Amino acid sequence: MDKKLQELEKQYMKVPIPKELDFVVEKALKQGRKKKKNRTPQWVLGSAAAAMLFTAGLNVSPAMARTLSEIPVVGSVIKVLTWTEYEVAEDNYDANIKVPSIENLENQDLANTLNEKYRAEGKTLYDEFMAEVGDLKLNGGGHLGIDSGYEIKTDNEQILSIGRYVVNTVASSSTVMEYDTIDKENEILITLPMLFKDQHYIETISENIKEQMRTQIAESNQDKVYWVKGAGLADEELMEEFTTIKPDQQFYISDKGKLVISFDKYEVAPGYMGVVEFEIPTDVLKDDLVSTKYIH
Amino acid sequence: MRTRNAFQHEEVFVQFIREQKERFYLLAYSYTKNEQDALDVVQDSIQKAMLSLDRLENVTYMKSWFYKIVVRTAIDFLRKHKRLQVTDDDTLQYLTPAQEDVYENVDLEHALDELPQMYREVVILHYFEDLKLADVANILDIKLSTAKSRLYKALKLLKIQLEDVKGETAHG
Repeated sequence: MDKKLQELEKQYMKVPIPKELDFVVEKALKQGRKKKKNRTPQWVLGSAAAAMLFTAGLNVSPAMARTLSEIPVVGSVIKVLTWTEYEVAEDNYDANIKVPSIENLENQDLANTLNEKYRAEGKTLYDEFMAEVGDLKLNGGGHLGIDSGYEIKTDNEQILSIGRYVVNTVASSSTVMEYDTIDKENEILITLPMLFKDQHYIETISENIKEQMRTQIAESNQDKVYWVKGAGLADEELMEEFTTIKPDQQFYISDKGKLVISFDKYEVAPGYMGVVEFEIPTDVLKDDLVSTKYIH
Repeated sequence: MRTRNAFQHEEVFVQFIREQKERFYLLAYSYTKNEQDALDVVQDSIQKAMLSLDRLENVTYMKSWFYKIVVRTAIDFLRKHKRLQVTDDDTLQYLTPAQEDVYENVDLEHALDELPQMYREVVILHYFEDLKLADVANILDIKLSTAKSRLYKALKLLKIQLEDVKGETAHG
């Protein structure tokens, strides 16, 4: 190339690349993909072709991770970001699995434990899904869907509660919810048993939930149904009577410092009730609580 | 099979975009002359491309196909925003005949910018982006002969400009 042209090219290349470029590009790729998904009919025609789109964002581009970390996604220091997304879009098979990642914890052990758990679970979900799709195809097909992601339940100065959900769609759907609650100040994972002096909390909470269930059933004129005794429901309606919570029942701590107990779809109520939650009044718990630091 | 192609294309496309994004940005910038607008053009181009990815017959055409989208998006953008290319002070200075005190480096730096868009884009695509003239013609929606003549004209203009710079320094 001519020397002058080389010089010109150098000038051309000298335009600074804004650091937002990575972010903009990844966002566009993602949005383009979504838009495409919405107008499926055109390209879903024809044979079902498997597609695995591996949206690697953070792990591919350190620059993007940097850009993202400058955007206050959640709170000020400790953040939750989407690490990876698995997507499958076929005629009858649909998967969307978002894997979260907790960033900026100083306690590396805790961060690694949680993030590795999230990643392993995300991958397992995806692998299992693909295996099931394979089986179904061999057996003449069917419909299968999975939707997994996360939501931030609480993020204040002290508490970060992150809930991860998995919705399985076969003929009907089931939903599983799992929570992790972190003490941001001390960077420890909070478990349900550690909040209480002894095992007595199981009974206290269970009794309170039963009471709330009965009240709700009565107030809603049995529009709401929980599988609990003493609420006027016929015994045969009680698919699986709720008697007590598990010692490690799923829970999170609300922004106001209340304990919220969560049950998966079908766990204590008919499917139409979905995932159900009960906020336990702190008054009820006060004798069992170790301290009122988290729950107040 | 079309679906499968679309997906294969998509994987190639995503990789292609990630690897080459800086070049697309530079190309967009050569039209918009503005960081934010160039980013917008890149973003729009990617989204447009993904929507019509299944219409791309062969991945080997991906490069010129995508450049065409970027160029069109950039030109559309300029048109929509009725933004005539912003002429900065240096250029104004250069265009004012009375001004003789032009600095050497300034000229070299702006030689390309001062080229009218129709010539500049040919130079960028052919020399800097390594595209065949036939591809350049396709991208710009012009005849091959037109692309050729624009390129010659561009080189002529550049040469004159660059010689002028030399002349300036020789005299100065």
